[in-house]
Amino acid sequence: MQDRPTAPELLDSVAEYLVGELRPEVPREQRFKVLVAANVCAIVAREIRAEAEPDQADLELFNELLGDQSSDVHAAAAELSRRLRAGELDDRIDELVPRLEEHVRRKLEIARPDYAGGGP
Amino acid sequence: MEEERLVSGVREVLAEQGVDTRELRLSRIPGGASRETWRVECPAGQWVLRREPGGSVSLVPMGDEFALIAAAADAGVPVPAPLAFEPDGGRFGSPGLLMGYVGGTSVAPRVLRKPEFEQARERLAGQLAEALARIHAVDPAKLDEVLPETSGDPAVAQIGEWERQLDEIGEPLPAVELGFRWLCANAPEPAEPRLVHGDFRLGNFIVDEDGLAAVIDWELAHLGDPAEDIGWLCIRSWRFGNDDLPVAGVAELEDFISAYEAAGGATVDLDRVRYWEVFGNAKWAVICARQAHDHLTGVRRSHELASLGRRICEPELDLLELMR
Repeated sequence: MQDRPTAPELLDSVAEYLVGELRPEVPREQRFKVLVAANVCAIVAREIRAEAEPDQADLELFNELLGDQSSDVHAAAAELSRRLRAGELDDRIDELVPRLEEHVRRKLEIARPDYAGGGP
Repeated sequence: MEEERLVSGVREVLAEQGVDTRELRLSRIPGGASRETWRVECPAGQWVLRREPGGSVSLVPMGDEFALIAAAADAGVPVPAPLAFEPDGGRFGSPGLLMGYVGGTSVAPRVLRKPEFEQARERLAGQLAEALARIHAVDPAKLDEVLPETSGDPAVAQIGEWERQLDEIGEPLPAVELGFRWLCANAPEPAEPRLVHGDFRLGNFIVDEDGLAAVIDWELAHLGDPAEDIGWLCIRSWRFGNDDLPVAGVAELEDFISAYEAAGGATVDLDRVRYWEVFGNAKWAVICARQAHDHLTGVRRSHELASLGRRICEPELDLLELMR
């Protein structure tokens, strides 16, 4: 067991420093890079807080779509990608659109929670 | 390559053009996710040098890009004046393109929000429409030594190109794969191939207070369906937060199309634009993955490039929503 702050709490503190203190101090053309750095901290903090749940949900989704029993989410995503490319799932495109949207929304929850809802 | 050698290389090339190169200075311009950009200054004038670091997403070798920019300039498209090209191992070290300097900014959020660009924003859609109509009016026969000929359907060719790019990265992106299958199944009637800029969007336009000053970054140019450029211009990522204005965050699509047709562009079919908007989201997802990959493989270490790997899901969501 590590002492507090927890890992995401530490990242929060770095993000707060980058945006609140460092950003106003750096030349204008560097400020965007500071914001990107703070955003990276926020992504990692959300990912740690979410624990294994999003990966588990993706694994169950990919296994269901493939009719497989894989235990590795990356391997399952690769197999789904391979079958899609091979045209083996061409008659299921309409069914797969909302299902893969579930997967994409789980990625957005971590990477950019405010993105969904804007509409393309 | 050391900066000193680069300076002497640039000095030599400019001197050949009859420029007095006393007090020549080079300074690196930050940004430019795929290419290195230098500002070249001396009392006699200002130029921009773009160099290819290698490994970046580029469909057009720099020497061909030089010929393309010259062809675009001939067609009346505002571009930086192309001055000289040096190949790999030449006087710029890596492949490099020396161009006239164009004042203004290419930073999209600045163009969209700063008060000094208010008039520019009002004019921009019309100017972009006119520039794009001129790009699409370039005679493809003049480009046969510059761009590879497209055989068959431009949509199929582009899908194949970006599937190949995705394969090189090696990361599984099932939503993008699904997008490519949808694009194969829903391809429109093949268009007569025209010059397509391939990355026509805010960020690749130099804008000054009067509006569009230059169209830059021709490295994704190819022969294809002209509606591809319009669909790409409309994807949500290129609205930079102005989500309710589909064309570059500055205009409605209908107004843009009217201006494009008035400037001599062929009649635009909205379904075709929508199709290429779906494609554009798949392509942007692959480019994000590619840039993160360039960081991971050490082509260019950068937290900015790394963070793009986690932006793949943004165009993926728009892609899936457009397919519904």
